Amino acid sequence: MAATAQDPSAPLRGPEKKDEDRDEDTEYSPFYGIEKGAVLQEARIFNDAHIDPRKCQQVITKLLYLLCQGETFSQKEATEVFFSVTKLFQNKDANLRRMVYLVVKDVCPASDEVIMITSSLMKDMNSKTDLYRSNAIRVLCSITDAQLLGQIERYLKQAVVDKSPVVASAVLVSALHLLSHNSEIVKRWTNEIQEAVQSKQPMVQFHAVALLHALRANDRLAVSKLVTSLTKGPVRSPLAQCLLVRYVAQVISESQAASGNDSRPFYDWLESCLRHKAEMVIFEAARAICNMAEVSARELTPAVTVLQLFLSSSKPVLRFAAVRTLNKVAMTHPMAVTNCNIDMENLISDQNRSIATLAITTLLKTGNESSVERLLKQIGNFMSDIADEFKIVVVEAIRSLCLKFPQKYRALMNFLSNVLREDGGFEYKKAIVDSILILIREIPDAKEPGLGHLCEFIEDCEFTYLSTQILHLLGVEGPKTKDPAKYIRFIYNRIILENATVRAAAVSSLARFGALVQELHPRILILLRRALHDNDDEVRDRATLYLQQLEGQAGGLDAVDVKWNIPAKNLEQGLKKYMENGFQKPFDLASVPVAVAASPAKERKAPGRTLAAPAPTQAPKKQDDHAALLKTLPQLAGLGPVFKSSAPAQLTEEETEYNIVVVKHVFASHVVFQFNCTNTVAEQVLENVSVAMDLAEAEDFEEEAVLPLASMAYGSVGQTYVVLARPEGSMALGKFVNILKFKVKEIDPSTGETEEEGYEDEYQLEDVEVTPADYIKPVAVANFRSVWEELDPESEMADDYGLGLRDSLQDAVEAVIGILGMQACEGSDAVPPNARSHTALLAGVIVGDVQVLVRLSFGIDVSRQVAMKMVVRSDGRDVSEAIHQIIQDA
Amino acid sequence: MASWWERFLDWLRSLFFKKEMELSLIGLQNAGKTSLVNVVATGAFHEDMIPTVGFNMRKVTRGSVTIKLWDLGGQPRFRSMWERYCRGVQAIVYCVDAADHDSLDTARQELHDLLTKPSLAGIPLLVLGNKNDLPGALSTNELIDRLDLKSLRAREVCVYSISCKNQSNIDMTIDWLTKHAKS
Repeated sequence: MAATAQDPSAPLRGPEKKDEDRDEDTEYSPFYGIEKGAVLQEARIFNDAHIDPRKCQQVITKLLYLLCQGETFSQKEATEVFFSVTKLFQNKDANLRRMVYLVVKDVCPASDEVIMITSSLMKDMNSKTDLYRSNAIRVLCSITDAQLLGQIERYLKQAVVDKSPVVASAVLVSALHLLSHNSEIVKRWTNEIQEAVQSKQPMVQFHAVALLHALRANDRLAVSKLVTSLTKGPVRSPLAQCLLVRYVAQVISESQAASGNDSRPFYDWLESCLRHKAEMVIFEAARAICNMAEVSARELTPAVTVLQLFLSSSKPVLRFAAVRTLNKVAMTHPMAVTNCNIDMENLISDQNRSIATLAITTLLKTGNESSVERLLKQIGNFMSDIADEFKIVVVEAIRSLCLKFPQKYRALMNFLSNVLREDGGFEYKKAIVDSILILIREIPDAKEPGLGHLCEFIEDCEFTYLSTQILHLLGVEGPKTKDPAKYIRFIYNRIILENATVRAAAVSSLARFGALVQELHPRILILLRRALHDNDDEVRDRATLYLQQLEGQAGGLDAVDVKWNIPAKNLEQGLKKYMENGFQKPFDLASVPVAVAASPAKERKAPGRTLAAPAPTQAPKKQDDHAALLKTLPQLAGLGPVFKSSAPAQLTEEETEYNIVVVKHVFASHVVFQFNCTNTVAEQVLENVSVAMDLAEAEDFEEEAVLPLASMAYGSVGQTYVVLARPEGSMALGKFVNILKFKVKEIDPSTGETEEEGYEDEYQLEDVEVTPADYIKPVAVANFRSVWEELDPESEMADDYGLGLRDSLQDAVEAVIGILGMQACEGSDAVPPNARSHTALLAGVIVGDVQVLVRLSFGIDVSRQVAMKMVVRSDGRDVSEAIHQIIQDA
Repeated sequence: MASWWERFLDWLRSLFFKKEMELSLIGLQNAGKTSLVNVVATGAFHEDMIPTVGFNMRKVTRGSVTIKLWDLGGQPRFRSMWERYCRGVQAIVYCVDAADHDSLDTARQELHDLLTKPSLAGIPLLVLGNKNDLPGALSTNELIDRLDLKSLRAREVCVYSISCKNQSNIDMTIDWLTKHAKS
């Protein structure tokens, strides 16, 4: 880019053209629109007998520009350019020389060609001009091979300690590159590199420190030693010190396990860096402290203090860096950041929107319940100024805030509906609608106002996708509300005003109301009749169908609200198969298998292998799958609805012949054990598979039915069930010894046919236990205190427990929640770091739909002994007693 | 004022009398090419030289002639690239180790291969039999025979027997070169 620097009047444009352009567009690249072919033609001037340095520089600049823009030269073109450029070597013009060095590095011709310039570079490497020396070293090191490196090593080694900083830096950086394939040679220079670390030149010191570290990067002990000596030593350049801070942070993170957290190595040094002159070192040190694993509040304080100073800095970069770091800290240590809240609130009006957004989301994370309203007001002021992607960030932060403080749902919901009414793109609106949908789902109290806001939104919504989504939700949720009639107007308006897709969705939604709300039925019929004359086929068809159904034909009322129990994947496969067979018969929906393969995605990835236990995050979805599966079994229909399904548990070792996963389904008076069986042996088929459960250690249970699996072929998943009865509503516990019983039939490997004769066999499985947690469903309550007050104080039972030695309070809280299987409310499952006491609020429903609330107070002493006080309130004293019993037994 | 006038005259003179030429110096490895360049440029001879990897470029000024000398490496891997640096030069100098009888066949082969390239048609050739101080060094006539120079048509060919070490016939060589400079 030397050419542009030298020649501001951009030689590529004629002067007259420039005048024309000046009005419309003052600044654009002088290289705009240049073409590779033309530039390669121009490169021929390098071969001229008389070299024009100025012109050559311009051509090289264009070549480099093309390369930087991602243009590639073919091998032939690269060769041509390279050899032309070699003709420019040894030119007296210093700028041209530098350009030559640059272009040679970037053109990268074939390796057997690039050695042509070796001799010339070696000559330059010994020249008197520092600039030539450093550049020659850089190019030489980038093109050299091991053999040649041996020849020039002596020069390079000397250059490491060269007085000129450009030369020394050039060698050090080149050595970093050489390290990947010629580390032996670089290792021989250690003494020189050590000397370079002492250099007074900041760049040299920076590069030398980086190189020393890179040399030891594979040896953790050596890195630690190096860092120790450097922290005591002479590292003065801010850049080098930043680097050192990063290395120290790395050492700290690696030594964590060994040393525990009371005497963290190097922490004092990091803290001293916070008082460094250079801002970058201060920031780097503060960031390193904030990123330390399990950092304590005391350790954080100094770092947060300097970051707080940065927040009011005049430099946008510093403000951004500080607020971004604090944002991260706020995720783990919201309390530590609260001190900065005042400074951060000033940043909300920062000109730089990135800073403002980060400030807001940080405030939302650290804010307590009382500051929510104030914050929302401030955010509302500037919402219209920021770009959509930032708005989405804000909306997401508000959503998580709302889940954290469910009592504040009214203010937050109002805010969301306000911003929903403002202008915005699809993504932004979608984020808001999604947030409202989630809030409606999570916070029961928010449902009606949320639906109201959504109704208003679809009155003026330009996005078909969102309208249909909301209409569907209204159809599902609306009939269950106290006053379903008020939604009818909104939905019917859509039939009058919107496009065909929305109209069709509105018709479906209306039909739901008609089917589910008896008193609205006649009115819906009238409304639907009006849609019969719609000019869109789909709308008319739907209206006709639903009218028939609502009038009792074509399946009647139940058909309006079809429970779709066929998995979409199976349906897709069925339809595909149907299309392959060529439409001879009408498609029969009944032919689609209703059963779900336990984990189709995983199975396809590794056919025939054992199924890994599904990740816990999949569990909720799984439960739905299992529930659908249970419904398909007529034998289980009499048991009523499933109260709770447990997470799948593995009953066999991985990689054994048979892979069995159990899921426990709790019903009102039964427990159904669903065994998902996978056969991993290709040479055999298992038939009549069942599980025999020994009830010796579970007296309360009684075996009611066993549903065996008819046949279990290689690689497929099948289910066998055991149904146990227990006294209605009781929390019977027990432990079961299980034996898999089956009939083995060998498969002839040559023909693939199954042999006629088989033999009975059995296989020992691991034990299954029914625990109290199986009978408790985690159900969140929005306002813990009000529900607590509503419950009969008579049912309250309190007791104290010693939990023994624990690593931390968090550990103890998690353990108790795990035992009880209840839902933590108001984010009380997270213990603030280093807290000595904590209160957790749990809610749940016990089998028989009995609500239970638990208030847990934890305390930890110096010797890490944890004590807990548990107060239980529920619908009945016996239930409270049972909860206490669970903890006593655990 | 006087100095200004002097400089103006110099400039004028250089316009009319200054000549510039470009030469390629090639030959098998260890024929003495880089030594020759050093002798021509500095007048000093160094006994041991490291092999040239790639090329060296030297500018030598003799009288009113500036010679740009491309001294190319003689190892086999560089020979294919000679042609690129011989295009458009005023003369090709081919250096031969006259005392190394074994390599002469290779030298002849490489020379004739190179000169068949159409891009190099008509460029004058100067063959130098180096190292005539060593016993058993070939004379010019013997060189003409061994390198089959008589078969080269349509270009000017000249052969000298020289010694970089003793600096014999170097002046003659330079004279021949400056004569071929483009005015």
